[in-house]
Amino acid sequence: MSSLSRRDFLKLTSQALLAASGLLGLGGLFRFLSYQTGQPPPTKFDLGPAANYLPGSRTVMLNIPAVLLHTERGYSALSMACTHLNCTVDAKETGFACPCHGSKFDMQGALLRGPAQKPLRSLRVEQTAEGKLILYTD
Amino acid sequence: MQPDRTSASRFFLPVASGILLLALCLAWWMNSRQPTPVSLTPTLTGQPEYCLTCHADLPEISPSHPVQTFGCVICHGGERLALNADVAHSSMRGGQNPSDLSVVEQSCGGSNCHSGSAADNNDHVQRVMSSVQSTYAGAIASILYTFGAEPDLTARFGMHAVSDQVITTQTGVAALEAFDPIQYDHSIIEDFGQNCLTCHINAIPRDGVQYARETGCAACHTPDVNAFPEGQVHRLTTEIPYTQCNTCHNRGNYDLGQMTFVERADQPTTRLQSYYQPIAQFTRCEWTLDCVDCHTRTEAMGDDDIHSNMKDIQYIQCKTCHGTLTELPQTKTLTDPNDIAFRLAQLNPVVDLKLGDTILVTEQGEPLWNTRVLSDGTYELIGKVTKQRFAFRPVMGTGCQQIPDQQASQYCHQCHAVEH
Repeated sequence: MSSLSRRDFLKLTSQALLAASGLLGLGGLFRFLSYQTGQPPPTKFDLGPAANYLPGSRTVMLNIPAVLLHTERGYSALSMACTHLNCTVDAKETGFACPCHGSKFDMQGALLRGPAQKPLRSLRVEQTAEGKLILYTD
Repeated sequence: MQPDRTSASRFFLPVASGILLLALCLAWWMNSRQPTPVSLTPTLTGQPEYCLTCHADLPEISPSHPVQTFGCVICHGGERLALNADVAHSSMRGGQNPSDLSVVEQSCGGSNCHSGSAADNNDHVQRVMSSVQSTYAGAIASILYTFGAEPDLTARFGMHAVSDQVITTQTGVAALEAFDPIQYDHSIIEDFGQNCLTCHINAIPRDGVQYARETGCAACHTPDVNAFPEGQVHRLTTEIPYTQCNTCHNRGNYDLGQMTFVERADQPTTRLQSYYQPIAQFTRCEWTLDCVDCHTRTEAMGDDDIHSNMKDIQYIQCKTCHGTLTELPQTKTLTDPNDIAFRLAQLNPVVDLKLGDTILVTEQGEPLWNTRVLSDGTYELIGKVTKQRFAFRPVMGTGCQQIPDQQASQYCHQCHAVEH
């Protein structure tokens, strides 16, 4: 077993330091470039079997936030983000009311009272071949 | 010397590498000590911010400003992704108070929230900046006139320079220059500048719990700072108690001879005693209601014109609610769902206003949204702070002996004043 010379030891140490620095530097660079401050909000939601939503029902989904309507004309959805400043509106018996600044909307999302200037946004709902409802918010 | 240079160059790379390694390890270690970020992406901005990592325990500032919608940065500024407190706070607007008038245009006025058009009722910042509460124009004009520095009581100076492109009232003035008490070379006016400018809403208040308030919008809309340690209160409200008004008003008098502020010496223990003027008279409503129950947003925050003094903007009188012997107070039945009365009532829901309700309105058409006309012809007012209900009736049809052209409150006080 040959002993490590002083020269070789210093050379090995230098190379190890260089390699570690390079790896750490590359790791930091990778972390910097790949850093994400937060996941972008999802725009597609699986609402499960359509049969779960009875005719005439109005299902509030605050996690989206949206409301799914099942009428004679089929499934439709409204965003529950107020068109004034994006506060989540409250579902009321006769429509929707914004708790922030008082805008009101009817059951179909039409504007009844400002300060909002637009109706609630309609969202796309699709039914899959398997009978599931998919809601799109984009 | 050749061997030395070779030796130096031979060691340069390992040493530099070692320093780099140490620096990277140090950075890694410091980073590992950072808290795990709590990310919030406000729906209004769509930009993640980490403020809740440290400030999750703060209460919601108001129902109109939910943190999930607004986040923190849109009002407070700051570095939204910083986890180091000093860095995160380095670019905050107004320190702990983004409503200070020096930054209010960027904070409260940002995103066209409170800095917009009068038609949309979003011109709060413009109105406040030109109001007598922030310009202090009346007091300044009065002193300058009294001590011979100006020829009349017309306001020419304010705490800040301000101009008005569109004058809509008879008493509006076009512009004010920034007041500089030194320019007159007059010791009394200099004393006035030194001792008597603590009441305009952007002034740092005098020392003492009785004066404690924030500056800017929060001077009024963040009441009761004394109730919180180090004044760190996170609250905005239109439910403003008279005690908040009293942090400026009723605290004492100015001694014009000495040009100093003379604090009131007594310690009021009752609502009535809270009024300072010992010789003044007050009717029952003046000491059972809160100031905001009668005085309107236009009186308090201005009408977007620059006025020379408080009298030009304050107009509510007894007859506003009680009428005269020959005229009932003005009323309005709410038929427009976008009436401003609904928005004001929504901000402080002491009353559930509905379409078809009839409320009192002021001589300038401002809704007294916390009132309603009852079916028997009498009226009801709901206290914006106390939520108490007060029934009252019109002067018409009573035995009141008022003289038609004497409608100022002192005439009503002659019969209706309460005893101190």
